[in-house]
Amino acid sequence: MSRGQKRRKPEEANRVDRAFRFVDDRLGISHFTRKALNKIFPDHWSFMIGEIAMYCLVILIVTGIYLTFFFVPATKEVVYQGRYAPLRGVEMSQAYASTLDISFNVRAGLVMRQMHHWAALVFIAAIVVHLCRVFFTGAFRRPRELNWMVGLTLLVLAIGNGFFGYSLLDDLLSGTGVRVAYSIALAVPVAGTWLAFLFFGGEFPNTEFITRFYILHVLIVPALIVGLLSAHLAIVWRQKHTQFKGPGRTEGNIVGSRLWPQYAAKSAALFLLVAAVLALLGGLAQINPVWLYGPYKATQAAAATSGSQPDWYMGWVDGALRIMPAWEIRAFGHTVANPFFPGAVMPGVTFGVLYLWPFLERRFTGDREPHNLLDRPRDAPFRTALGAATLAFYGILLLAGGNDILAGIFRIAPEVITNTFRVLIFAVPLAVFVVTRGVCRGLARDDLHPTRPPPGGLVVRTATGGFETVDGPDDGRPSEPVVDAWKPPPVDSG
Amino acid sequence: MEPRPTPTGDDPRLPAPVAERRIAVAFVASTLAALGLAGVYVAGGQPQAEGALLFVALSGLGVGAVQWARQIDDGPTAGERGELAGSEADQEAVVEEVADDVADLGRRRLLSRLLLGAVGALGLAALFPIRSLGPSPGHSLERTAWRPGRRLVDSEGHRVRPDTLTVGGTITVFPEGAVQAGDSQVVLIRLAAGRNRPRRGRETWAPDGNIAYSKICTHVGCPVGLYQEDTHELVCPCHQSTFDVLDGARPRFGPATRGLPQLPLAVDGEGFLVAQSDFTEPVGPGFWNRS
Amino acid sequence: MTGPVAVFGLLVGLAVGAAGVAGAAGQTAPTASTATTVAPPPEVVAGRSLYEISCTSCHGADGRGTAQGPSLASTGPASADFFLSTGRMPLDRPRAQSERKRPAFSADEIALLTAYVASLGPGPPIPDVDPGRGDLAAGYQLYADNCASCHSSAGAGGALGHAVYAPPLNRATALQVAEAIRIGPGAMPVFGPDTFDDHEVDSIVRYVRYLHDPRDEGGLDLGHLGPLSEGLVAWAVGLLGVLLAARWIGTQD
Repeated sequence: MSRGQKRRKPEEANRVDRAFRFVDDRLGISHFTRKALNKIFPDHWSFMIGEIAMYCLVILIVTGIYLTFFFVPATKEVVYQGRYAPLRGVEMSQAYASTLDISFNVRAGLVMRQMHHWAALVFIAAIVVHLCRVFFTGAFRRPRELNWMVGLTLLVLAIGNGFFGYSLLDDLLSGTGVRVAYSIALAVPVAGTWLAFLFFGGEFPNTEFITRFYILHVLIVPALIVGLLSAHLAIVWRQKHTQFKGPGRTEGNIVGSRLWPQYAAKSAALFLLVAAVLALLGGLAQINPVWLYGPYKATQAAAATSGSQPDWYMGWVDGALRIMPAWEIRAFGHTVANPFFPGAVMPGVTFGVLYLWPFLERRFTGDREPHNLLDRPRDAPFRTALGAATLAFYGILLLAGGNDILAGIFRIAPEVITNTFRVLIFAVPLAVFVVTRGVCRGLARDDLHPTRPPPGGLVVRTATGGFETVDGPDDGRPSEPVVDAWKPPPVDSG
Repeated sequence: MEPRPTPTGDDPRLPAPVAERRIAVAFVASTLAALGLAGVYVAGGQPQAEGALLFVALSGLGVGAVQWARQIDDGPTAGERGELAGSEADQEAVVEEVADDVADLGRRRLLSRLLLGAVGALGLAALFPIRSLGPSPGHSLERTAWRPGRRLVDSEGHRVRPDTLTVGGTITVFPEGAVQAGDSQVVLIRLAAGRNRPRRGRETWAPDGNIAYSKICTHVGCPVGLYQEDTHELVCPCHQSTFDVLDGARPRFGPATRGLPQLPLAVDGEGFLVAQSDFTEPVGPGFWNRS
Repeated sequence: MTGPVAVFGLLVGLAVGAAGVAGAAGQTAPTASTATTVAPPPEVVAGRSLYEISCTSCHGADGRGTAQGPSLASTGPASADFFLSTGRMPLDRPRAQSERKRPAFSADEIALLTAYVASLGPGPPIPDVDPGRGDLAAGYQLYADNCASCHSSAGAGGALGHAVYAPPLNRATALQVAEAIRIGPGAMPVFGPDTFDDHEVDSIVRYVRYLHDPRDEGGLDLGHLGPLSEGLVAWAVGLLGVLLAARWIGTQD
């Protein structure tokens, strides 16, 4: 239909018509919009995990902006005279005092703060689960290696921003964490002392870091995250999403919902439900009650609380610090201090391998073909087993980060718990690797769903008294991959 | 297009009146919750009520949206992916365009090297402002605020005598006049007479059972605040490094590799505890230049 | 120890005690100035008989100690009152870390035993504690500086080495907290009157009692265990919730 013709339309369509033409006249977006509206998105639920992370980010930004109106990132010491009685008359940084004000004086301030913190925890958890989905289905293979690396960088930035964020409050617990980070920087060979002094502004303890963490947390890292996330989405848009194998799906086509209206509606619904869960947590589950910890007092009696853990996404580094044996390199008048190995080398190496994984796998398997169809985890037993073992590795480290709390709960000496973890950190990933690889091979061979019952054949009694199966696999090896029984859709040329 | 059945064969598309009723209920619940939320805010705010009402408001909208999406879902669509890479012609054209210029750069060796040098130098110069971010480490990590004769004070500035602590007691002390010095915090412990097993050269460091160690853990610098009195051990709460107080705070367990530096103590003329000197080794975590 | 057994023991003890006192009176070597000896007060006598029934197996006759239990000679009344009123003594098993449990003695019996232990030698007296006299903010400062590293900022307790555990403080009475500060039970250091004066102890006690029911404005306190339980809830409730939402919205094939 050309632009000159007018067609009789109902009232509503007239309004949409006028509005869109107004915009298109000025921006020329109709061609792009036409393609976009019809763009197909496979809508398996596991493809929505990345979106969950994205919507957590939206909540973080919205609540974060609100918090910046009240938080004071200043290091000046003030004497608190606010509503929280146990701290009245106590000296604290303005940063900490403003946090108390947000929690007790600003209406809905505490809910905003708690939603923000819960959203950060769920954000990184969702990224990790999304990473697992991508890894275990082989979605990082050509042509998506770049996007894998972009995503990994987003994970690293998210973890960093979380650390900067909760350290801003200058409370006793997070201040201890900043001290640990400072000491890890110190432990870096050759340049460590300079690294620590320049990044943190001098000898610890000093409060220089608050203003620096602030600008990192509200401007620099969020800008990087938003930029990389846009690239991440643009690449997915350009390359089109992967899809699981199934009837009617090939390497060359894409099956799913159209962006408008179905996928947009589903996505909007997901955002609302993610926001709802975060709101529930933000109001009903207390998180980071900084008033109980008190302000960080490095310059005073320098207390720390027992049961000092960082937020979960740093917990694996803390666990590594705890179970690392007391080894250190001392030679020629220099020291490579103990924290360097669990605090810098281990994360560097593990993340380095993660970054390179698409290329390592190409090298191992010799598979250089592009893939738009996903593997089921069982189709790549080695990869799945290695991924499971890596998760077990990080999981053990995470648990080890709570060794003193575990010691208290089970009334076992922390020494015993720590030594147990030192053994488990090797034994468990190895065991998980072997078991997972076996399970994958078994599932692939029998071609069964891990949790659903096997599609049974109908077993009938023959006239002569014997049994035979009708409509089912005779030898356990079906001729066609067994997927859920739905009819293949008619192929649309749109 | 046919509605897509679920794995169990049910049709997710409900009859229109049923679905509409459900969507309506969800939206109404959401609206009421939002109004309630506004009311709670006006009335002064209450975190749990705010969270619960916000949850209902958002999930009401979300649930309604899901069901509406189901209603308008007319099943899966399939489409062609098409080629990702550009056409041969396009690729060749771009490569040709760029390759010529790159080759040209290669031919002008001197100029391109000077260009590289200039860009490199500017880049290097641009890094120098980073130097202003912090002071030079110098020897600051090797010294604290303790000096010979400096008195010990508690966090309120009161001087400490040898009998301020009961046997089996502990407090944190600072150099008088330098209570704010974060690297000088010291944990003072009173041992029973004869309990201490001082190292060679340290026999005079613990007058009257008062023994002092740096409170900064030699692992990653947390304050070593847990004193386990019955076993005479200092435990760091962060990563459970355990130090034997009777043996120069030697690490007995945990990731710390070095004992806590001991502050040599003495009693001055007026009967107050003083430091004999600064620590004889750097306090806190290890670093490259620590020998 | 309740009821008839106690009464019987009391009577036996009184008889023995009376005999013992009479014998001792006959054997004291008087100074030149006085020929009389002071008879132990009745609560000490009654306490001693209770002691002999319940405590000698570990703490020995006259509180001198055995291989299983330390001497009580200079422990003082505060120590006895603390261990008995929190039920830490009698121990289930010798040498385990004593833990709070239901007291084995009634308040009267505890008073008698305390009087007896007090008679064995000097030790920290039962403190005169009044949280109302204390300053809440000062109590916070002192608690954070001296107590939080073992008992945690929220008073939830914490692990030390050797399978010893700094207990949570939510069930301690004001007197028990003050006694613990003054005597340093078990692995706990001792904070005597020259370390903290009585007003400081009052302040610490006031803050510890605040921790029994702190301001948990934010909602469920998740055990006051910090980021560990928060991370658990983030995964088990937060992430699980949103994944279930995605599963509901998306397809499963």
